Amino acid sequence: MFKELNVFKIAYSMATHAGKRQALVAQNIANADTPGYNAKDIKPFKEVYAQRARPGDMIASRANHLNGGSGADMNWAVTEQRGGSDPNDNSVSLEAEILKGVEVKRQHDRALAIYKSSMKVLRASLGKN
Amino acid sequence: MSEFAKSLSISASALQAQSTRLRHVSENISNADTPGYRRKTVPFEAVRDLSADVEKVSVGPVRLDRSDLEQVYDPSHPLADDSGHYKGSNVDLMIEIADAREAQRSYEANLKMFEQGRQMSSSLMDLLRR
Repeated sequence: MFKELNVFKIAYSMATHAGKRQALVAQNIANADTPGYNAKDIKPFKEVYAQRARPGDMIASRANHLNGGSGADMNWAVTEQRGGSDPNDNSVSLEAEILKGVEVKRQHDRALAIYKSSMKVLRASLGKN
Repeated sequence: MSEFAKSLSISASALQAQSTRLRHVSENISNADTPGYRRKTVPFEAVRDLSADVEKVSVGPVRLDRSDLEQVYDPSHPLADDSGHYKGSNVDLMIEIADAREAQRSYEANLKMFEQGRQMSSSLMDLLRR
């Protein structure tokens, strides 16, 4: 169990994903009134995590090829939503972005809670509390 | 530059742009009765900040609205011409109020994102605390 602490890696990449998405949501909201701006987003963490480079779960030639993502082998590609419905050719919907922002905040809190509670388990196993 | 620092700087640029817009709107409203005043328009532009790889908002050059000035009939006015008309301003209060409301709405949304980015980064820092 202690050789490869996957739960920390997953929590780390989940928090990284939330951070990247937060920056994009902030950018979209900032440009909500800019003519010709297209809303940007990255894929949900579930999809990004499922699509990470997985060279097989048995043999690992390098440390970062082991199971569990550290974030380096994930696809953080930014997608653009084209075709604005606004008269000024802007495709940002303020309501959708606020909703996405709440989603991001919850995901980030969840990742940190997982990290904290795993840390507690480790501490408990060391006999400290 | 971390993602949260990026997020905060983008929100800050947007807050600044929206408040500049609100300033010009109030300038227009206060000059609604000034003869010969043309309303000012503020264009927003997305500017790529290469050092951080983000698109910030900036305010482009302020332009004057070239539409016709309103003709006001008042023969006793010092600026009145032969037909008794003088040129007022081309400010439409309805447009300005709507613009101000939109600026306020966007400002609040950006403030919310700023607050959220700040909260997320401080809860990340709380991990260091026991």
